[in-house]
Amino acid sequence: MSEAATQIRVDLSRGDFSLDVDLAWDARVAVIFGPSGSGKSTLLEVVLGLTPAAAARIRVGGSWLDDRERGVRLRPEQRRLGWVPQDALLFPHLSVAQNLAFAAGRSAPPAAGPALAHAIEALEIGDLLGRRAHQLSGGERQRVAIARALASGPRALLLDEPLASLDLPLRARVLRHLLRVRDEFEIPILWITHDPDEAQIAGEIVVVIENGRVVASGPPREVLWSRSVLPLSQSLGLQNVFEAQVVETATHECCVETARGLRLVLPVALRVGERVGLSLRADDVLLAAGPLALVSARNLLPARVERIEITNGNALVTLDVGERLVARLTAGAVERLALRDGSPVHAVIKAQALRRMA
Amino acid sequence: MSAAELAEITGLTLRVGAVATAAILLPGVATGLLLARRSFRGKALVQAVIALPMVLPPVAVGLALLLLLGRRGPLGPLWSALGIELVFTWWAAAIAAAVVGFPLLARACEQAFAAVDPGYERLARTLGLSPLRAFLRVTLPLASRGVIYGALLAFTRALGEFGATALVAGILPGRTETLALGIYARVQLGEDRGAFWLCAISFAIALASMLIAETWLRSGGSRR
Repeated sequence: MSEAATQIRVDLSRGDFSLDVDLAWDARVAVIFGPSGSGKSTLLEVVLGLTPAAAARIRVGGSWLDDRERGVRLRPEQRRLGWVPQDALLFPHLSVAQNLAFAAGRSAPPAAGPALAHAIEALEIGDLLGRRAHQLSGGERQRVAIARALASGPRALLLDEPLASLDLPLRARVLRHLLRVRDEFEIPILWITHDPDEAQIAGEIVVVIENGRVVASGPPREVLWSRSVLPLSQSLGLQNVFEAQVVETATHECCVETARGLRLVLPVALRVGERVGLSLRADDVLLAAGPLALVSARNLLPARVERIEITNGNALVTLDVGERLVARLTAGAVERLALRDGSPVHAVIKAQALRRMA
Repeated sequence: MSAAELAEITGLTLRVGAVATAAILLPGVATGLLLARRSFRGKALVQAVIALPMVLPPVAVGLALLLLLGRRGPLGPLWSALGIELVFTWWAAAIAAAVVGFPLLARACEQAFAAVDPGYERLARTLGLSPLRAFLRVTLPLASRGVIYGALLAFTRALGEFGATALVAGILPGRTETLALGIYARVQLGEDRGAFWLCAISFAIALASMLIAETWLRSGGSRR
């Protein structure tokens, strides 16, 4: 068996906080998810080599950065990791162009030129090059910070809560850019967030951390909705999340389709081919059993019940609509509709209930 | 008093100030950085000791320097062996000026470095810079205004140094007579006109330095 491309083992204690994790995965894009104070950022700092740990064994993208048994212990400046801190940390005494040049100047020569140009293009910061950090909006600052990390020709991109410092409308825009970076740059990404929707849309795998310990890991849409993680992810605002592409458009609405063929109608006109990230509250999904009368909702999806979980009078009904979709009903409603595993139903979703998150 | 005499006194004063400031620049920056970025046991004591020359009577500082630099002090045999004569030379004036100027510079540097988010330097390291290069390319430029302000403050303080200088350098016309010493000597001798001219020059130099210092700081206000 070959070794996992990314391995992170960290053992560290500081006052009454301790971090003890042992992780390994092959996925290119991994999300570390947890509430604030759970140790996510500290973990990232240990990977970067900026915070010493009592014990650490770190391999990123197939290279050992820290392994005392092998006698490897790279200093932060030798690790070639593209760090995007939560508050961007653009150098205030330099322009945007100089910030990028600062990073590009240190990158391995073959990567420098094209990587920099590609980063400027993908993050749409070409018009900002002459400005200084204090002349940028929060979203622009974050985009420049991402471009700067890419310009350094890193072996991996490390994102520390890249959207947390932004207002909601800006988040969607920056998230769109981040998804583009994820799809266009072939580098490993370690993405830290406390937002379960971001975790679902961003990564191939998610690692859930609480109080410095790993509590679960696996595919985000399974792990975050699993019985053990659900209380945490729900308290942080868990919703249904889809990535889709616009396939048809009309004057005031458009139709998008996910990779698995689920079609949804949105109440906005978007360009055909445009990619979107959508979120939908589990509370906003209605279920109808039996024949459908005429209803105003634009999305009537034939569905099959996969699983029903009832806790404290609340029922979470997992449905297969092509994609996995979760509806939250009262236990009484489940009883009235006589829902059970395998029941055929219709999921009813108003177009307005679908929010564009990216 | 002659113009040549005025020029000589002014020149010597500027030279003493410049040499003193240049000599404390590196240690001042290093001390400021240490105090701003590191916590260690006895830090408060170190800070207090550094501030001492600022609050002690300058004459007391002068006496301490006289003991350290003089041939009759504990280091006397060393100076004799090396054949170095410091007391009553302009070097002594420069040393006195450096000692009283150092706390001003170190304090200004400490404040300047404390105002720079250490995150910038950490980020520079992840971009491949060694700690020294990250300091030189990120932290120092970001703190440069405070450092330069501190240096100008120390320089101006050096120009006005009297008490300590009078003790270790004496008031030797043409050798150790700076503006401040010159004013005192002329008032003692009743040469009021000469004292007035030296005062005017002191005033002009001090005003110019402070103007530079203030405009320098103001112009940087919007940068961060």
